[in-house]
Amino acid sequence: MLMFLDIKYAIRQLFKSPRFTAMTLFVLIGGLSISLFTFSFLYSTVYKPLSLPNGDSIKAVTILKNGNFDMLTANDFTQMKDELNTLAEFGIYQESTTRVSIEDSGKSYSSARVREGFFKFAGVEPILGRTINAEDTVVGANPVALISEEIWQSDYRGNNEIIGSTIILDGVVTEIVGVMPAEYRFPNTARLWTTLSDDVLKPEGNNSAWHRSYARVKSGVTITQAEQEMTQVLRQIHQENVKLYQIEPSDLQVKLMTFQMAQTGGEGSIVFSFLNAVALMILLLACINVGNLLLARTLDKQKETAIRSALGANSVRLVSQLMWEGVLIALLGGFLSVLLVAAALDYTNMALQSWIPSGGSFWWRYGMDGATLGMAVVFTLVTILLSSFLPAWRSANQDINTTLRDGTRGAQSKKAGRLSRLLVTTQVFLVAILMLIGSISAYIAHSFINIELGDDYSHVMSARFQIPTDKYPSEKQQLNLTQELIQQVKQHPSVVDVVTNNWAGTRKLYLDNKEYLRDTEVPTADVIQTIGPLATVGVNLTIGRNFNVRDTQQTRKVALISESMAKRYWPNESAIDKSFTLELGEEKHKMSVVGVVSNRMNPSTMFGKIDAADEIYISGQQFIASYQVFFYRVLPGTENADEVFYRAMFNTDRSIELTYQVQPAEQNRNKMRESMALLSNITFITGFFALLLALVGIYGLTANAVAQRTHEVGIRRAIGATDLSITLMFLKQGGKQLVIGLGLALLCFALMAMGFHQFTEQLFPVMSYYVLAISVALGLSIIVMIAIFMPTKRAIQMEPSVALRYE
Amino acid sequence: MSALITLENISKSFLTEDIETRALQQVSLTISQGEYLSLTGQSGCGKSTLLSLLGLLDSPTKGQYWLAGQDVSTLSRNERAAIRCKKIGFVFQSFNLISDLTVSENVMLPLTYQSGVTSSYIKDKVAEVLAKVEMSHRANHYPSQLSGGQQQRVAVARALVNTPDIILADEPTGNLDSKNAEAVMSLFDQLHQDGATICMVTHDPKSAKRAQRSLEMFDGQLVGDVKNTESNFTPKAVGV
Ligand SMILES: Nc1ncnc2c1ncn2[C@@H]1O[C@H](COP(=O)(O)OP(=O)(O)O)[C@@H](O)[C@H]1O
Ligand SMILES: [Mg+2]
Repeated sequence: MLMFLDIKYAIRQLFKSPRFTAMTLFVLIGGLSISLFTFSFLYSTVYKPLSLPNGDSIKAVTILKNGNFDMLTANDFTQMKDELNTLAEFGIYQESTTRVSIEDSGKSYSSARVREGFFKFAGVEPILGRTINAEDTVVGANPVALISEEIWQSDYRGNNEIIGSTIILDGVVTEIVGVMPAEYRFPNTARLWTTLSDDVLKPEGNNSAWHRSYARVKSGVTITQAEQEMTQVLRQIHQENVKLYQIEPSDLQVKLMTFQMAQTGGEGSIVFSFLNAVALMILLLACINVGNLLLARTLDKQKETAIRSALGANSVRLVSQLMWEGVLIALLGGFLSVLLVAAALDYTNMALQSWIPSGGSFWWRYGMDGATLGMAVVFTLVTILLSSFLPAWRSANQDINTTLRDGTRGAQSKKAGRLSRLLVTTQVFLVAILMLIGSISAYIAHSFINIELGDDYSHVMSARFQIPTDKYPSEKQQLNLTQELIQQVKQHPSVVDVVTNNWAGTRKLYLDNKEYLRDTEVPTADVIQTIGPLATVGVNLTIGRNFNVRDTQQTRKVALISESMAKRYWPNESAIDKSFTLELGEEKHKMSVVGVVSNRMNPSTMFGKIDAADEIYISGQQFIASYQVFFYRVLPGTENADEVFYRAMFNTDRSIELTYQVQPAEQNRNKMRESMALLSNITFITGFFALLLALVGIYGLTANAVAQRTHEVGIRRAIGATDLSITLMFLKQGGKQLVIGLGLALLCFALMAMGFHQFTEQLFPVMSYYVLAISVALGLSIIVMIAIFMPTKRAIQMEPSVALRYE
Repeated sequence: MSALITLENISKSFLTEDIETRALQQVSLTISQGEYLSLTGQSGCGKSTLLSLLGLLDSPTKGQYWLAGQDVSTLSRNERAAIRCKKIGFVFQSFNLISDLTVSENVMLPLTYQSGVTSSYIKDKVAEVLAKVEMSHRANHYPSQLSGGQQQRVAVARALVNTPDIILADEPTGNLDSKNAEAVMSLFDQLHQDGATICMVTHDPKSAKRAQRSLEMFDGQLVGDVKNTESNFTPKAVGV
């Protein structure tokens, strides 16, 4: 009954001051929503159990090789699987892209090559037909595949007779044996499931191929136990391999993690904790501010509380009475935040599906779920504790005598004043840090988006493929096949030009007449094998000549070098006909420069300047590769430009293995840029909200502190203080907190910047950090000073006679 | 007797939530230099309002106010602050000392708001007025460490520190017991004898009688103005 009265009283209070209620709610909803959204998004992306039967026990097997991510080879798998006692299920698979031919054209789908046990592991039954069994994967078996419900519906109109019919996958006639239910995409984005042949399991010495693998531990066995056993077995196998093949020994470790975590390369947990820390910082800011707003209210009621206390109310009663207002606001804020976050997650889901044609990994499904709701409850409780209970408890335990004895606010207001000053300092510190971090990441994203790449990929298509070496064992055959493909593509009327461009890695080069004492002194450059005119991808010849048909394996080895390289080694002379020695694998080749081309961004120094690293183009006719990255430029407005390559491929040899679907060359880069832009936008919005929050907070705190001193201002004014002297008094005091908070933040930033500077290898000039720090400091100072000035101005506008009556 | 203060048809109304309160209506009054006035009347009749107008804490809605020959009815906020700082001393019922400042810091406050005052002058002056109210031994205490009577004596010292033309006291003994009240009252008698002009609001008829001249208010108007012949004290320097 008493509680009911308290609640009624609190509700009346909230309605009586709608502006206060709205402001408090706004601050709280903002803080809660940002934290909650961040949590939910990251949780779904990295930690959440997969939405499959027994999804929480589905683990991806990853290997840490000398601390770096690695995969199991088929050999490792074969040798390990019978040795393990801790696993209930264990298997390998491969992800790829499969092209479905429909008469003359076709479509590419994300697919997986799997073996018996794979579908049982996922725990999902086909809606039609059967899954892959052991007979399907024996060498020479009839090729079979399962298709997804979506393909079944769109390409076969849900025809029930489909089982047993055939489909052409990557040029191979394949029997459809089953249809998997809608939304089923395991292991990642698959819409087609084909077989991973037993062929891969036959021992191949040290050349066994890498595979992805999955596992489920036996019930009663912990993940750590399984990891230990697997690590131990794998190390044994590795030791034998070291002896057998004389390879370098490495430190191996097996990790069982969620599929999501494996996808993030294990960095998920770092990003997860960092972003969560930022989000929690914002929640803390929100709590401080809500707490302060509520504290202001309880301080207003201090005398009332003291009287109640004097009348015999115990502190439990007092706390509960003072708390209700905050509790109600927190509950309402929590509820509204959940609604807001649910809407934001739904929107994210929609946006993501429309951005990524394949829909992305199947666990990228965002929405309100149990974990997020649970977190909402936790956050709300924390908020209640921080922003309602503590202030109420403080207020209830005040010294009654001091409060009752006279009208002037004594020790209590002094304590409150100290607290509020501490809070202002904390806020300034937190916001300064957030702003500094935010501006660095915005700067990085900005530099990344606007980076000068030195190429022109407009109307350029790219295809990546592997020439089957068993069918084309000699280099001559491989080169002929590549040239045949180039001719085929070139014949198409829409094609302007064709070039192949394989990045052969960063390689050492030795200049003539130069001694290198130590290995680290030898300069390096990015080496790119190329056939055809580089102008196809926007890299232009400045002097000299291009490669031509006379550059063969029999003639001297020729090179085109980037302007940056020409300038670096032959600054005041022409680089043409200069020579150097290039180390390619085991061999060293004497190279002659025949031309200089424009600079291009190197993949190895993505954040660097365009002329920071050099490029050497070598002739694809002199150095032959079986893996090709194939570019062709088409006329603007060409439709189905990808068909040009597919048709050429089918006319030449259908068994060429595409490692990535044919797509505009810009696609990958744009995706990366888009996600960078999104990231920088999110950071910006979050930073902006944090700033707004802090502004409201600092304003609130100062307004509160000033209001607390209205009476004092009245006294000072009564005895002759001018407006200016009062304003200066408050600004001076606020300035002190500003300087302390900002100073601490700048100190932290200096440490962070130093680490970051080293980590990014002096990516940004040192000056830019100073500029950043100074602009943030200046901006924040102005904003804080305004936030202090505004309430001060309001307080001194009051006539002193009114201020003196103010209690 | 030269007129220190002249009020002519002063009115003051407050507008709160569309309700107009006429706190003062057509008040006219002359106060001479060195006079000791008491102001009585029932609660809410406008005494404090009149005192704040006299002390330039607020400006009248209507009417004219001359202070030492200067028309002060329409001054700006800062001009009024400057006059308060030089010419007026306040003593309040609730002492109104600043709790974060020590006794001597409280007392020196009015001087710190004046320009051209040296710190040695401030030091001497503070010591002088604290001695006058017999509070020198508590100069470094905080107000919360003092009794009510002591706090009020500090407040009086603060009112004296700028050698004001007039001391305005709003129920200075209202929060004090009879012994402390008597001490503060005799302090006022003393000040009056030394030549100060005092205007004091009080509830207590006995205190009112100690003044030279008693004003009575009712419902925002002056209804009585009598010279107290039985006043025990005669000012030394009246009408110089
Ligand atoms: N700042 C103010 N706002 C509104 N009403 C006021 C204000 N100051 C005084 N009043 C009203 O004016 C009238 C006179 O008040 P006051 O001068 O304080 O009386 P008292 O004679 O008790 O000192 C009262 O009715 C009071 O409510
Ligand atoms: Mg009064």
